Amino acid sequence: MALIKDQQLSLNHVATPDIRFADWLDDDLIKGESVLTNGADDLTCLLANASKLDMIAIEFETFADGRGFSMARLLRREGYQGEIRAVGDVAMDRIEFMHRVGFNAFELRDDQNVNEALTKLSEMSVHFQPSADGKGPAYMA
Amino acid sequence: MPRKFKIAVSGSDSDRAASQVHDIGLHLYRNDAGQMGFEVIVGGGLGRTPVIGKTVRKFLEPQELLSYLDAVLRVYNLNGRRDNKYKARIKILVNAVGIEAFTKMVEEEWQFTKGKDLRLPQAEIERVKGFFKAPDYLSVEHAQSSLETEFIAHPAFATWHKQNTRDHKQPGYRIVVVSLKNQLQAPGDISHQQMDGIAALADEFSFGELRSTHDQNLVLADIAQRDLFNLWLKLTDLGMGRANIGTLTDMINCPGLDFCSLANAETLILSRQINETFDDMNYQYDLGEIQLKISGCINACGHHHVGHIGILGVEKGGKQVYQFTLGGSASNDASLGKTLGRSIDQDQVVVVIGQILDVYVQQRETDETFLQTVQRIGFAPFKERVYGTHQRSAA
Ligand code: SF4
Repeated sequence: MALIKDQQLSLNHVATPDIRFADWLDDDLIKGESVLTNGADDLTCLLANASKLDMIAIEFETFADGRGFSMARLLRREGYQGEIRAVGDVAMDRIEFMHRVGFNAFELRDDQNVNEALTKLSEMSVHFQPSADGKGPAYMA
Repeated sequence: MPRKFKIAVSGSDSDRAASQVHDIGLHLYRNDAGQMGFEVIVGGGLGRTPVIGKTVRKFLEPQELLSYLDAVLRVYNLNGRRDNKYKARIKILVNAVGIEAFTKMVEEEWQFTKGKDLRLPQAEIERVKGFFKAPDYLSVEHAQSSLETEFIAHPAFATWHKQNTRDHKQPGYRIVVVSLKNQLQAPGDISHQQMDGIAALADEFSFGELRSTHDQNLVLADIAQRDLFNLWLKLTDLGMGRANIGTLTDMINCPGLDFCSLANAETLILSRQINETFDDMNYQYDLGEIQLKISGCINACGHHHVGHIGILGVEKGGKQVYQFTLGGSASNDASLGKTLGRSIDQDQVVVVIGQILDVYVQQRETDETFLQTVQRIGFAPFKERVYGTHQRSAA
């Protein structure tokens, strides 16, 4: 499984955590840890505790579950600076949107091409919608 | 987002976009202070859970349209149900939390987007408006015509003019609704020859623009009065001159079992029977405005819930039968029709429509429309006529 981080292939990184956010909450809330979360977790609670986490891996369980997009967007809006990693169904045609809402790392499946993913991340220079990346809509440019 | 999403926009006083039965409905209007803005309605929809939308914001300044909708969509994305696709629509969320709580969630989220990047600059609004400039209308003197000689010489033209054309804000012009509801084709169908023909007419008479409507007709929006007679002749040649807009035979009909793999029952056979049975146009004119809407299954593509008369095809024990609803409306007074009673066999559908219309004709007061009569007298007389008769004839 390859990982793209900060717009390049990462060769040295922490593995995607298997501790789930809900379990981490139940345990000791150790500062500096990484957790795995998805749309089913309590977002308000995640936002409140995010600053204690180094990395938050958001799982896209199915194509139809787009909650991860809103989660990343709100985490960045609340000022979260750590890594937000997209895992699960990280579809090529959505990777750029994930990037725009605040994901800075993407776990690819073995059948997904790293170069294609990197291209997707920089392919579009103009956007309609403002997002977490600070790029305004085309008409503001 | 949890599932598909439909937004309807209505810019006139009368809602012709069925905006109260969409995920989001937007009504552009001028408030008492003279400012333009949107009333925002959320959570409407038809299908298996029909709901009339509710107002989430009475007045929204146009500059904040995108920021506000962004907030609505985020609230829906985060809170809409994911466990059951039939319950994943925004209408289910709005009903579950209530419109007050939903409004509060949206307002809270909106605080983050309001007045920021998504606020539309006036220059951008003006730029987009620039794409909708009025065409080069002729002056009134050149456009207008009293059409009096034509009316006298061709009564059918006079009827068509009355039934299928509407007032235009531009003096000397009229709006023409082209009926795609002739006797021989399925409602809304158009052949390639007719398509070519109507495209040429749009070029010749209406600045090259042709619009389609959700009630399965076409609109030529800018016709000079002096061209109306020629246009009518040509439409008639194309088999598109039927003067039945707003009448019983101007029905909405989904394709049903003939063409749709989701259907439970045939629907096109009903429109054929209706056209054969109610072929007297004077009878239809006398009945006045009636919206008949037919769907071949619970997905309600024919919008039967909001038909003055709605017909839903269902399958029972291998037989195609039809449920009637009465009293629905998709206009400003949007409402969902209520079920009349037990389902009707396919060969009895036109009989029942006839009975329902008879009750209306007998009971209506001066100038009362079908819908108004249903609202005034209630369901009892219709039930008595439809089911009482059946029982007697069965006995
Ligand atoms: S209402 Fe049902 S039968 Fe009719 S078009 Fe829709 S899905 Fe098909």
